[in-house]
Amino acid sequence: MILISSPTGLRATVVAANALLAIALAGTPAWAQKAEPCIAGSWELTGPIAHMGLAVRMGVETAVDEINEAGGVLGRKLRVIAYDDQGEPSRAVDNARRIGEQDNCIAMIGGFRTPNALAIRPVVSEIGLPWMGVMSAGTRVIEWEQGTNEWMFRTSMKDRWVAPFLLKKALERSSNKKIGLMFEATGWGQGAVPDIEAAAKGLEVKLVGKETFNLKDQDLSAQLIRLRDGGADTVVYYGVDPEGQAMLRSMERIGYKPTIVSAWGLSAKLGEAAGTLADGVFVAGTFAWTGQLDARAEGIWKRMKTKFSLENPGQVSMPSGTANAYDAVYIIAEALKIAGSFDRAKMRDAFYKVKYNGITGTFDPAFELAAERHDSILPSQYKLLAYYKGLLMPVEQTPYVTK
Amino acid sequence: MGEIVQYLLNGLTLGGIYALLALGLYIMWEASKAANFTHGDIYMLGAIVAVVLTERGLPLFVSVTASVAIAAVVGALIERFFVRPFNTEPHSIGWMLTTIAVGMMIESAATQTYGSLGRQLPSILAEKPIRLGGAGVYAQELLLPIAAVATMFGLQVFYRRTRLGRAMRAVAADRMAAGLMGIDSNLVALIAFALAAGIGALTGILIAPVLPALPTMGALTGLKAFGVAIVAGISSARGVVIVGLAYGVMEKFIEGYLSTGARDALGFSLVILALLAFPQGIFGRGEVKKV
Repeated sequence: MILISSPTGLRATVVAANALLAIALAGTPAWAQKAEPCIAGSWELTGPIAHMGLAVRMGVETAVDEINEAGGVLGRKLRVIAYDDQGEPSRAVDNARRIGEQDNCIAMIGGFRTPNALAIRPVVSEIGLPWMGVMSAGTRVIEWEQGTNEWMFRTSMKDRWVAPFLLKKALERSSNKKIGLMFEATGWGQGAVPDIEAAAKGLEVKLVGKETFNLKDQDLSAQLIRLRDGGADTVVYYGVDPEGQAMLRSMERIGYKPTIVSAWGLSAKLGEAAGTLADGVFVAGTFAWTGQLDARAEGIWKRMKTKFSLENPGQVSMPSGTANAYDAVYIIAEALKIAGSFDRAKMRDAFYKVKYNGITGTFDPAFELAAERHDSILPSQYKLLAYYKGLLMPVEQTPYVTK
Repeated sequence: MGEIVQYLLNGLTLGGIYALLALGLYIMWEASKAANFTHGDIYMLGAIVAVVLTERGLPLFVSVTASVAIAAVVGALIERFFVRPFNTEPHSIGWMLTTIAVGMMIESAATQTYGSLGRQLPSILAEKPIRLGGAGVYAQELLLPIAAVATMFGLQVFYRRTRLGRAMRAVAADRMAAGLMGIDSNLVALIAFALAAGIGALTGILIAPVLPALPTMGALTGLKAFGVAIVAGISSARGVVIVGLAYGVMEKFIEGYLSTGARDALGFSLVILALLAFPQGIFGRGEVKKV
């Protein structure tokens, strides 16, 4: 409080002004002040998809360790704060508030589920908290149907861009150009159908069947019989591991062996669970820790292996998600350097200037102002992976490359 | 033709699961006039315990035996601590809530410790499907309906020919009169729950080589088995097996000729209609009370 020796009237005015200033400052949310050097996440750390939360955590913590060993950012060490949302949107919303208001972190990193990312859109906007998605691929997470997205960014795949990628890869591998679609009856799976239909129209290919299934279904024979009878020799799959495993079993049971090209709901764990049945299944992704790695990726893998007590790269359940998370942290660090302070708005603006050579690709710049370019990984950086001998590998390093 | 055979075979496999689980509910109902809503989770527990023990290097036979034994003990504990104290009056329903709660706890504990992804039990009967009439089926799957029918006949023999079985029938007929004849009805209920849990676990073990053992595999399956038991008339072993097999086949034909989405909606609607038409269940008999 400032006190000035002055005539009574002036003194009263100054005291009143100071009081108003104090009230105004007390009422100013924490985010308007300098943020803390912490990167916080709302991830699926327990529950049925805990392996996905762990995959994000691996990438984030490994990158933060590297950055801190190199001296930190702007002279300060970064901290990681991990909150569990168990994949539930309501918990993600609570966590976002905590991260933005109580912890006052400089940025938030999202988890696996698109519904969680959609649920926190109004929260991060209201708080002014830069959010970086590293897995949840829903188009509407970034490209809002209403309002302007100022705070949400993503270093991951985007469903609208994945659909044509998958369909092109499916067509390349189809002998009779008859493609079928299998999708889970969730927001993600159903949301992908118009994307796939639009992509099919663009590529002038007609889908011979669109079949859906419920989560926890363990027999998908009926849907597959219809696709088989429709002549589909290639199936585009939007689903996750348990139903993917059930699909492979059902295919074997009914004697149907189409080529499968899957969105990245299938993780490395499927190779372990389904064994040779999964061999030759293609999955879209951004990175694989298996096979030949370059020197930088090899170093990251060794660090991760030690920190998380891993035995082989196949244990990184969501290889692309882990790599995205790793790159996302570096993009945040680069943006902070450009911003010159732990100021959220300045850092957000700096995202559009970041140039960074990551493990998933080159970002030049990472983001642009156009709504669709709040996604940093472009379709040209998408990769095709394939299961081979139980491991999810870059397709170039499997026998399925020319198939 | 091939697809009809396929739906029939898949339906019989699924129906075998429903029938076996519904038989367990029948056993428990007869002994205590209570249904155990953890039964689907016991089915799951049997499968994942067998998978885990096999992964730890135990021979398959030992893993299976240990899994059934563990499930039987869990079943007995559930009766003793979560059903009996809440089933003291003729119309008590506290056991509903307690068994639903315990089922959720078992599923959560399994998810935390076992993981969320499925693993299969090794079996030479599930390595390659056999071809029948243009359809495919794993020999392992055929064990389910066979086991359901065999268990039904086995229970008939058990109830008629063994001292314990006759004691169970006596308790089912009149708990108080059985008590007056020196039968410990609490012990009979305890054994009935253990027996039902053992059968539930065995069901999970039989399907685990084909369908991956998952912590979430039991809840909905158990609920459907309960629906089967009610529609059949829970006091008829023959009825629950027939309705169980029929329900499984019906689900597969709905999936095949309508849609997967219609399966549960239509299936449960038919359950409700069947109950409206047969309030005591299709094979049930009305309870007569002497006054």
